[in-house]
Amino acid sequence: MKALLGVLLLATCVCEGVEPKTALLPPCCRVALDLGNPTDKSLYLLDSTWTSDVGRKIKLGALRGRPQIVAMFFSHCEYACPILISELKAIEQALPAEVLGKVDFLLVSIDSRRDTSAELAAFREKRQLGRKRWTLLRAESDDVRELAALLGVNYAEDARGQFAHTNLVTLLNADGEIAFQQTGLKQDPALLIAAIGKAARGAQR
Amino acid sequence: MTRRLTLTIIAILAGFCAARGSEPGMAAIPATIYRPLFRAEKAPRDLPVAAFQLDVRPVTNGEFLVFVRENPKWQRSKVKGLFADERYLTHWAGDLEPGNARPEQPVTNVSWFAAKAFAASQGKRLPTTAEWEAAAGAGFTVVDGSTEKEFQQAVTLWYGTPSPALLPDAGTGRANFFGVRDLHGLIWEWTSDFNSALVTGDARGDTGLERQLFCGAGSLGASDPGNFAAFMRFGFRSSLRAGYTVHNLGFRCAKDL
Repeated sequence: MKALLGVLLLATCVCEGVEPKTALLPPCCRVALDLGNPTDKSLYLLDSTWTSDVGRKIKLGALRGRPQIVAMFFSHCEYACPILISELKAIEQALPAEVLGKVDFLLVSIDSRRDTSAELAAFREKRQLGRKRWTLLRAESDDVRELAALLGVNYAEDARGQFAHTNLVTLLNADGEIAFQQTGLKQDPALLIAAIGKAARGAQR
Repeated sequence: MTRRLTLTIIAILAGFCAARGSEPGMAAIPATIYRPLFRAEKAPRDLPVAAFQLDVRPVTNGEFLVFVRENPKWQRSKVKGLFADERYLTHWAGDLEPGNARPEQPVTNVSWFAAKAFAASQGKRLPTTAEWEAAAGAGFTVVDGSTEKEFQQAVTLWYGTPSPALLPDAGTGRANFFGVRDLHGLIWEWTSDFNSALVTGDARGDTGLERQLFCGAGSLGASDPGNFAAFMRFGFRSSLRAGYTVHNLGFRCAKDL
């Protein structure tokens, strides 16, 4: 009887399309798959600890199994980052349904000082980044510097707390290897979208 | 102006306080003011650099051999491709055989990750770009190398000369004012924040493409366009990635004082 009730409740949720905000965790924070050791060039070899906007501490390897579309940003950005986020959202809109169901988006803050997990959570709300596909992470500055160095993102902070940084979108395949990179804003996203489609075929979940 | 004067006085005072206590093989670099070649709009013209200590010479093949022997995951055949590219230690004959590479030569063909791991194994760290530049700005006989003609000539000469196929031994260069050797004239060196260098297509930073590539790039400007060597280092650093290995790129370690 209880089980039946549970099924009914679950069905109700799904039918009404109510997003169970407290229940749905971002891609970083769901049950990780055991896929063995990362490959030789996998970013998931990094051992650094990251904190999600939902407060959970993870290793990047938690994202393994699905391609990730990655950008580095900071929430106080006045110039390029808002455009970058909008462009990522446009890519999300442009992806065909069968691809969209197999990729996630990852935003990593370069502002270790101000971007606490609470700040990131506020940013998620403000920019309407759904938990279904979007992960927002922060870490200590050395760990951020290391990830940026691997992606090829250069950055420096100015006196106003604005960061000059490379605008770069990186596609990681399901194994965490760099599959494609697009530099600069306002580029034709066709190549990136094609690369995402290809990477999605390698998704393991 | 007043602020700058205050900073200078603080730097001099801190310098006196820090003039002691460097480890063997390291030199104390007193607190100083570093003026970045490029800076973001409204960024301070002068950055204070706290006193620290710096290896007097770059890390050698011999020292790196001891490190890889004790840390097998950094041996040539075992290193992960993520942490070092395929040229890692290619000038050695094998994992533990430097071959023709002399133990006294500076180790090169090492990635940023490998350099960081070596430094950590010694209880040290890589110098920041500001620290490295602060130490490298000293002349042979004076603190401010830009006022010493002989030093300027020696530096410019090296940056205009290709690296010799056979690198000289580490530590044979002329010591600078702080007692540090080979900051110029031997190899390029990794810094902990090498990827804080943002360089644009041209120094005026006004090409459309580059402006799209870098947030805030249009506001970058060089503080001293005459400093050719600093331009070279800036450009070199901005072109690197953490896994890259280069035949004339090595490193030295730093430590807080």
